Amino acid sequence: MIREERQFTVDLAVIGSGLAGFAASIFAINRGIRTAQIGNTGAVAYTTGYLDLFGRLAADQLLDDPWRGLRQLAASQPQHPLARVTEAEVRAAFDEFVAFLTEAGVPYGQAGERNVMALTPAGTIKPTLCVPSTMQGGVDALAARARCLIVDFRGLRGFSARQVVANLRQEWPQLRAEQLVFPGMEHGELYPEVMARSLEVPACREELAARIRDVLGDADVVGLPAILGMHHPHLVMAEMERLIGRPLFEIPTMPPAVPGIRLREMFEQVFPTRGLTLIPQQKVDAVRFADEAVRLSLADSYGPIAISAQTVILATGRFLSGGLLASFDGISEPLIGLPVTQPPSREGWFREQYMDKEGHPVHTAGIVTDADFRPLSAEGGPYDRRLFAAGLILAHQDWIRGRCGAGIALASAFRAVDAVGRELARSGGQSGKHQSAEGRRDV
Amino acid sequence: MSEATIPTINFRERAIELLPEGASFEACLTCGLCSSGCPASGLANMDPRKFIRMAMLGMDEELSTTPWVWLCTQCKRCQHVCPMNIDISQLVFYARGNWPDEKKPSGIVRSCQLARSTDSTSAMGLPPQDFVFVVEDVLGEVREQQPAFAELQAPMDKEGAYFFVNQNSREPMSEPDEMVPLWKIFHLVGADWTYSSTGWAAENFCMFSGDEAAWYEVVKKRVDAVNKLGCAVWLNTECGHSYYTMWHGIQRFGLEANFRLENLVSCYARWIREGKLPVNADWNRDGIRFTVQDPCQIIRKAYGDALAEDMRFVVRKLVGDENFIDMQPNRSANYCCGGGGGFLQAGMTDQRRLYGRRKFDQIQATGAAYVLTPCHNCHSQMEDIGHHYGGNYRVIHFWTLICLSLGILGENERTYLGPDLAGIGL
Ligand SMILES: Cc1cc2nc3c(=O)[nH]c(=O)nc-3n(C[C@H](O)[C@H](O)[C@H](O)COP(=O)(O)OP(=O)(O)OC[C@H]3O[C@@H](n4cnc5c(N)ncnc54)[C@H](O)[C@@H]3O)c2cc1C
Ligand code: SF4
Ligand code: SF4
Ligand code: SF4
Repeated sequence: MIREERQFTVDLAVIGSGLAGFAASIFAINRGIRTAQIGNTGAVAYTTGYLDLFGRLAADQLLDDPWRGLRQLAASQPQHPLARVTEAEVRAAFDEFVAFLTEAGVPYGQAGERNVMALTPAGTIKPTLCVPSTMQGGVDALAARARCLIVDFRGLRGFSARQVVANLRQEWPQLRAEQLVFPGMEHGELYPEVMARSLEVPACREELAARIRDVLGDADVVGLPAILGMHHPHLVMAEMERLIGRPLFEIPTMPPAVPGIRLREMFEQVFPTRGLTLIPQQKVDAVRFADEAVRLSLADSYGPIAISAQTVILATGRFLSGGLLASFDGISEPLIGLPVTQPPSREGWFREQYMDKEGHPVHTAGIVTDADFRPLSAEGGPYDRRLFAAGLILAHQDWIRGRCGAGIALASAFRAVDAVGRELARSGGQSGKHQSAEGRRDV
Repeated sequence: MSEATIPTINFRERAIELLPEGASFEACLTCGLCSSGCPASGLANMDPRKFIRMAMLGMDEELSTTPWVWLCTQCKRCQHVCPMNIDISQLVFYARGNWPDEKKPSGIVRSCQLARSTDSTSAMGLPPQDFVFVVEDVLGEVREQQPAFAELQAPMDKEGAYFFVNQNSREPMSEPDEMVPLWKIFHLVGADWTYSSTGWAAENFCMFSGDEAAWYEVVKKRVDAVNKLGCAVWLNTECGHSYYTMWHGIQRFGLEANFRLENLVSCYARWIREGKLPVNADWNRDGIRFTVQDPCQIIRKAYGDALAEDMRFVVRKLVGDENFIDMQPNRSANYCCGGGGGFLQAGMTDQRRLYGRRKFDQIQATGAAYVLTPCHNCHSQMEDIGHHYGGNYRVIHFWTLICLSLGILGENERTYLGPDLAGIGL
């Protein structure tokens, strides 16, 4: 059969579709850089929707003021990716990212001066910087210890109103739990995704609102699992609030959860309309640094694709996403073969105590870069001027302990895209056209 | 009931064979995104994550015999949303093939048998001479009754024609007038095309029966027919799985095909861009709203979003930007309608409608009066769930709306239009 290879020529290729990859693409298209992004869903699919900047400096030190925390970090861990960017860059990165999400139909509150205390699926509380606007009501209700009803649904695993109430009763006495049957889903296991889509149908909203009104009691505000629509959730929420007559808020659920799917579907729909070439659900097979361009090769179900890029941002994440590979001989970076800084031997990966307060050395393994987030070669200089790295693949950070996943992703992507812009200007690579050039060739 | 038993498959072993490196079942994180996004979840007490877990646990007998393999439409949505890119549809295909014919849903088996019973490869068993007759007959009538189309052509077995056009059997069998709008479109753009008396049919249920040899046989016959006429392009009509079974079959069986495969939707888009099809939305003065259904067989499973964009370009031109509304989710993330995978032929009506409930909700959420789709299966299923769940939308082919917009839609070519459109341009 006669088949075609699809060819794209771009200024920037972003490899990876986690938060770092999406953020890099947003910053790039906002700067008029012709961009292609490749990668299948990473950890974004599991997100609560909260964007953490920096929540914990040491094991038992939750941060109220993340900005102060960053200044402390700069002193204690100067190699940490968040210590290598300026506060102004971090602020600009969050503002630009959040503005994009909001405009694209998944509104977020702005980054403030302080962390907010937000509800987790289990009914514990965690510090974070930005929350989706549908979840802001939970932050406020908790702060005010409002008279609040939490509702869950029969058959929905991964969210229990009773558990939330049990965990918070001590400090939030006016909290009450109710269980309802979701309209049209009387039997079997329920998925938040299905419920969210169903609430996009007006008849379902009316029926659910009626059921909630029946158990409202004296509640001034109602918390629901995150099911208020998949697209334009704030509109679904506003409509439900009108029908119920009380303010609502969403609480994240355990994966598979709606907030991650919302972000992903939004990106997949919005990016192409902004001139970005998005190749979702595929992995780059090989990267070759030729003189005139960096050549990426991959294939989707339709056939081979060749991307020729002036610059590349590697945002392939850690072990779970395939950005790093752990094997018997140590940790490697499988796509390009970049050097990975790591403990000298496997024995040094973990400390003896699983819950050790110092964390485990393996978690800080990763790619070492220069100040512009260019990965370094074994000799110490940039591996290639045109290559940058962003996100959790970077070394010298332990994002789980630091509660700083989104912070690292956004801030490093911001600096890297800035450096990409400078590199393009230097090499005269940027053509000023926003659309990527596209061609086809029979193979 | 027959006495035949279903042999037990070793699913773990098969998975290692069938799934690409890195996407094996061992890589499954049990995150549940697949099940959450699969309309067949919960049917027959099964879902994709459970299927994988049972396979890992070696529960081969249960999996070999579960009727769920006939309820999964092999739409590959689970793979699309899986962070590890795991594809269970290949194992479902394999499991289907493992059922003895007597135990498989008889409708699917029968459709495959019929496709092999004549050189037409028609799943309705329409033989070549009958197809030729119907085409000639309808053509004669149009030439006589529609003076603007006195010169209309429907070439048969024309060697060296650029396009080899296939044809879903539903039209020549039961609604022959529905062939005419497409002929008119070809006429207008001056396409060099032909039908073939052999290998002309579109549908191919042999793939859905899991019968690899039969699938091969049908695709082979079609490839031979195109090669014989020396056409440059096999042009797929408004039908989803016809494309996938041919495209995927040619690669899978390593067939020598000296032509390219194309879809009508991309041709419509091209012809509109080139000005050959001067469609417009002036007829839609009342702002009637339209949505589109992305058939997974040509979008998610084959072309990806490029074709989905062409489809939206065509629709927007036809109905007006402001009258088009997308279903959510859409494009490669769209849900299968529930008519695919042979579901419509399999006779399991209740389950098919439960599966289709998601599609129904999606359509309802748009508030559209019409759904356009370039797939006959999607078409029938969406009509059926619409009636069943009390929807008030209609489903139409692209060719109907294109001809309506151009003012060349004949009186007998309006079966699927509602009263709001039935009189326009007559
Ligand atoms: C369970 C879980 C919950 C989390 N919850 C939160 C939260 O509530 N708040 C928060 O701020 N952060 C959270 N995080 C962290 C957050 O998801 C990350 O900070 C963020 O995704 C940034 O990571 P990343 O983009 O660097 O990597 P990832 O998200 O891991 O993405 C890496 C991407 O690269 C792709 N990839 C890998 N190899 C290739 C290749 N060869 N070609 C193309 N693509 C490739 C992967 O498919 C993936 O898309 C959570 C993470 C996890 C795992
Ligand atoms: S989506 Fe993929 S990783 Fe998640 S449970 Fe399903 S198969 Fe496993
Ligand atoms: S192929 Fe489609 S129907 Fe089958 S399990 Fe996957 S998502 Fe469900
Ligand atoms: S009927 Fe339509 S939606 Fe369903 S599998 Fe076929 S092409 Fe996909």
